Amino acid sequence: MISWRTLVTRLAPLLASLGLLVIWQLASLALHNDSFPTALESIRVIPSLLGDPETLINFAASLRRMAIGFAVAVAISIPLGLLMGRSRAVASFFNPLLMVIYPVPKAALMPIIMLWLGVGDLAKTLVIFLGVSLPVIYHSFEGAKAVEEKMLWSGAAMGLSAARRMVRIVLPAALPEILAGCRTGLVLALITMVTSEMIARQSGAGNILFNALDMGQYDTVFAMIIIIGALGICLDAAFERVRQRLVRWSDPQFDIPLSFS
Amino acid sequence: MPSRSDLEADAMAAAAPATAMIEVDRVSQIFQTSSRKDHLALSDISLSVADGAFVSILGPSGCGKSTLLYIVGGFVSPTQGTAKMKGKPIAGPGPDRGPVFQEFALFPWKSVLDNVMYGPRQQGVSHAEAEAQSRALIEMVGLKGFENFYPKELSGGMKQRVALARTLAYHPEVLLMDEPFGALDAHTRTRLQNDLLNIWERDRKTVLFVTHSVEEAVFLSDRVVMMTRSPGRIRQIIDIDLPRPRRRTELLLDPRYQKYVVDIERMFDDSNEIELP
Repeated sequence: MISWRTLVTRLAPLLASLGLLVIWQLASLALHNDSFPTALESIRVIPSLLGDPETLINFAASLRRMAIGFAVAVAISIPLGLLMGRSRAVASFFNPLLMVIYPVPKAALMPIIMLWLGVGDLAKTLVIFLGVSLPVIYHSFEGAKAVEEKMLWSGAAMGLSAARRMVRIVLPAALPEILAGCRTGLVLALITMVTSEMIARQSGAGNILFNALDMGQYDTVFAMIIIIGALGICLDAAFERVRQRLVRWSDPQFDIPLSFS
Repeated sequence: MPSRSDLEADAMAAAAPATAMIEVDRVSQIFQTSSRKDHLALSDISLSVADGAFVSILGPSGCGKSTLLYIVGGFVSPTQGTAKMKGKPIAGPGPDRGPVFQEFALFPWKSVLDNVMYGPRQQGVSHAEAEAQSRALIEMVGLKGFENFYPKELSGGMKQRVALARTLAYHPEVLLMDEPFGALDAHTRTRLQNDLLNIWERDRKTVLFVTHSVEEAVFLSDRVVMMTRSPGRIRQIIDIDLPRPRRRTELLLDPRYQKYVVDIERMFDDSNEIELP
């Protein structure tokens, strides 16, 4: 027997999505604007859009760039962030650089990168890489800084060298924070993926979206927005599953009711 | 009064017995505070700890007693003076000196068993052997059945038991205990003191034990090193001449135990030191 509260908690995401669609539908009907199709009109386009091999090829190209950009960014950012967190010298060298780059919208660099590297995969992957790197570096940095000194001392007393303490103690201890950064990075990868394709219009999901916009196919535009949004939800949910498996040891236990619940 | 004067204590330290496990020679420690002022944490400390002795360092908070322990552990290098272990200068941490911290410092991503196995595995002990030894140690500290628990699932007292087992697992010659029971409630603290004594009385490892509790120091130790408040100096070294094995309930009724506690507390009172926040 599922309690009423559990049922509401389980159905909440579905109810929220449905609510959003209903508001959209009503707003669209009320405004009666050509560039604002109703939710139903947009959803109706999705099957034919996804049935088109052209769309799938574009999405595959987008996802490939996103995966490469994300993977390379994570592989470089985690060690850098951890080093910054444990070495004041490394931190004071990189911190000013990162603080300058952080607030710059990465897509704004796209035109210059295109001049240098062309409109192909390399330029777009580089922009994704930049977008993902900063939150991952920042969170790895904060995570490594917060590692209890005495945990490292305990490791040192057991005979772990400095390098091994970094890999065997700092990395796992900072993992919850690192993965929080990766989760932000994943969302940013999706955003920079679409915006890079919006500027370098050659292939990809962003390209389909903006081609449709140029041609006034507003139902396709909104259908693409729904698909990209759904993709984001799926990627995030998949990531969250992996994250939970990796850091089960650190998650708070929900065995007492939360305040405000 | 069963104590020696400062002068005699210094003389004793100078003429350290040949069996000294740890020797601290004229150690001073200066820290730079956040306002960039030099703070003298320890001033001219000389101390000798015999092999197999249980020695407590007793003092008010902020007297640098933990710093002294960290210097012996090799985690902090002294500004002046030297610390030696079995005649060799201490250059850094090593498995011959096992720390147990007030903050437990367990590896939260590892189960109880994996925490305890970590040291022996690091020393190259085979997995099977490390596991067998660790399981025995976990049972000895009273945590049989909790091998697969994560630290977050344990109470403070249980965490400190794991920390003790984890340190004992790699067979350090000296245990360095930094207010290990300071974060525990009175009841748990008493139980852990009893258990620590039982464990210690089996193999009589050398123990350097930092505490601010007079009763704890007298109950556990062969010798109590009293420190003054900032800058930390050795004020007096007191031999605790009480029979072992010690049982808490018997000791509490023992006039000798009571006299040690009262004498030491009086000495702290007499010093008219102002309470720091």
